[in-house]
Formats: sequence, structure tokens, C-alpha cells
Amino acid sequence: MKIHNKPKLTLFHCLNSFKETASMFDGCEVKTVKMACSSMTKDVHLLRAFESGADAVLVLVCREKACRYAEGSIRAEKRVNYVKTILDDIGMDGKRLNIFNTSSKDSGSINDIIKKTLLELEIIGPNPALNHFN
Amino acid sequence: MITASQKPINEIAELVEPYKKVLILGCGTCVKTCFAGGEDEVAVLASVLRLKFKKMARSIEIEELTIERQCENEFIQEASSGVDRNDAILSLACGAGVQAMAKRFAKKVVLPGVNTSFIGIQESPGIFTEECSGCGNCGLATFGGICPVTRCSKKLLNGPCGGSQKGLCEIDPDTPCAWHLIIERLTTLGQLDNLKTYIPPKNWNTSLSGGPRKLIREDHII
Ligand code: SF4
Ligand code: SF4
Repeated sequence: MKIHNKPKLTLFHCLNSFKETASMFDGCEVKTVKMACSSMTKDVHLLRAFESGADAVLVLVCREKACRYAEGSIRAEKRVNYVKTILDDIGMDGKRLNIFNTSSKDSGSINDIIKKTLLELEIIGPNPALNHFN
Repeated sequence: MITASQKPINEIAELVEPYKKVLILGCGTCVKTCFAGGEDEVAVLASVLRLKFKKMARSIEIEELTIERQCENEFIQEASSGVDRNDAILSLACGAGVQAMAKRFAKKVVLPGVNTSFIGIQESPGIFTEECSGCGNCGLATFGGICPVTRCSKKLLNGPCGGSQKGLCEIDPDTPCAWHLIIERLTTLGQLDNLKTYIPPKNWNTSLSGGPRKLIREDHII
């Protein structure tokens, strides 16, 4: 399925895992949600991002050992996996939600993640619960 | 606490499908503690159902509310205006809460959103274990505070079956042998002699096997 309008991404990130750069979001509309710690990743917030129009939701957290609050990244990953199963259950495709370990110093890998997400969206299509694409 | 887990989302979706306006009603006591039906779970379920129904191009109005307890009229009262506004109630309380709601709102459809499981405790974060079967005649004083009626796979009352290995039950090696635990604890308490007390075959009349039970406190009836 081809996406006609710009895909919408919602990007949750902890303070230490992400820093926006100028060309990072070419080709998509991005809403960023800053979290003091990745352990604040909550199932309901991820789901509401989809309700609000996101075609894909990304959660960027520090590497497990780099997490300043020890367990934040582990908790975030478990919650993301839980929501992925819910999305699969309701036919929304869990592939449109993903978590990555990143560092704010490494904008290159974040660029790659976004590119990969846009390519994935070309395959799985827009958010099936909304019809904002023509 | 009474433990429960949420029904599969597609089963819930089928239950609520015939209705236009649904109140998802959480319960802030037992089912909240076991992550099945507190306000967080109400919010998640509401969001998931909205997404699912939008995907199916079906409209549904969902209202969210959590009250302290669904098994007591005093608290149920707080839900009455929400109940009036909706066609059906999806209750995330245990079976007792669902039935209390159905009794209180005789003309309203009340649907169960969770599967009620057992009386238990949270053993460690995220792990809940069954501790009591509500047999109606508690023998914990003899067993050092560990219930063989519930926690021994064979419900043995006069000592272990002899099949346990390294403290684990021969029926299910993921479960500690209740009798291993009982003997360890009676040893600690210096009450190992309790084992000499013969426990006669259990009279199950006081349990659910004797039919639905009723508890009457005459001093509280006016
Ligand atoms: S003996 Fe009966 S009442 Fe006591 S804990 Fe066991 S099942 Fe519950
Ligand atoms: S191994 Fe222990 S818990 Fe399991 S059936 Fe035998 S006595 Fe009961």
C-alpha cells in the first residue's frame, strides 16, 4: 500500500536518548514526547498516540546499562512489547510500534531508525483506525 | 485479594458490540492490585476498544469510570449517573462486583470484562499465587500458616505424599511442595508435634461443594 500524504510519527524519548537535528524528519510529520525517564513509557500513552493519528510510534530509550534510573529501559521495553501484542490482536499490526536503544549523541542511528520506519509504513500502510490519507 | 485477569480483547469487543454507549467500570480494590481492572486498565481498554471499533468503521461511545469497590452498595451508588447515561456496563470487577452491579441496576446489561481466578497474594511484583480456597473451616493453625487444602496439589491433610523433590511438588515442579513448606515452618516454630494430630477426612459442606453459601451477622441486621 502506498502512503500518499506525509506519514505521522509519534516519538517518545527519554532525556538522554534523543536530540532533534534539522533534517531528521524530512518526509514525515513528527510529534515528540519528552519523558524524564523511559520508565514513564505507559501503555495508555502509546495507544492514545495511535488514537491521535500516529501511523507509527517510536520509543527511544538509553541502552539498558546506560539507563540512569537502572530499570527504565527494561520497563519501557516490556510495556512496548505488551502494546505490540494488543495491536496485533486488534488487527492494527504491532510492527507500527517499536522501541530502540539510542543515544542523543548519535543522530545518525536515529536518522536510520526513522528511514526504516518510513519504509516499513510503505509496506504495512497507514494507521487503519484513521482515514487521514487520501 | 481476589485475583482476576482481563478477558481477551476480541472477546470483550464481541460482548460490547451490540451497544452504542458503554460504560467501562473499574474497581479500585482487588482487581486494581492485580492489574486487571483499576483505572489504568480501564483507560487502556477504552483506548483499545476505540481503536478497534474505528478500524471496523463502527461507532461506539465509551465512558470511563473507576469506583472504590463494586461489591458494596455504598460505592456502587457513585456510578449511578454513569450507568444511566449508557446502554451497557462493562465491569472490570470480580464476579462478585459484576453481580452486585447487576443486582443494583436491574434493567441494565452488565457484562464481565475479566475472568475471576482465585484468592491470593502478590508474591513478588507481577506474580500472584493462590493461597486460600475459602473452604469455610480454616486449619492454618495446625499447618503453621500454610494451607495444604489450596497449595498441595493433592490436598493432603496428614503429611506429604513423598514425591516432592528438592522442595518442589511432584505434580508441578514450578510450585513449591506445600508440605515441605509446612514442615520447615513448623520446625522453625517448634511445633512439629502438630503432625501427630490426625486430621479426619475434610467435611466439604462448609465449602462451595455444600452449595452457595451465605454469611449472616444477626447483630448487623436491623
Ligand atoms: S484451610 Fe480453608 S480457609 Fe484456611 S486457608 Fe486453607 S482453604 Fe482457606
Ligand atoms: S509433592 Fe508436596 S505439594 Fe505436591 S502433591 Fe506431594 S505433598 Fe502435595
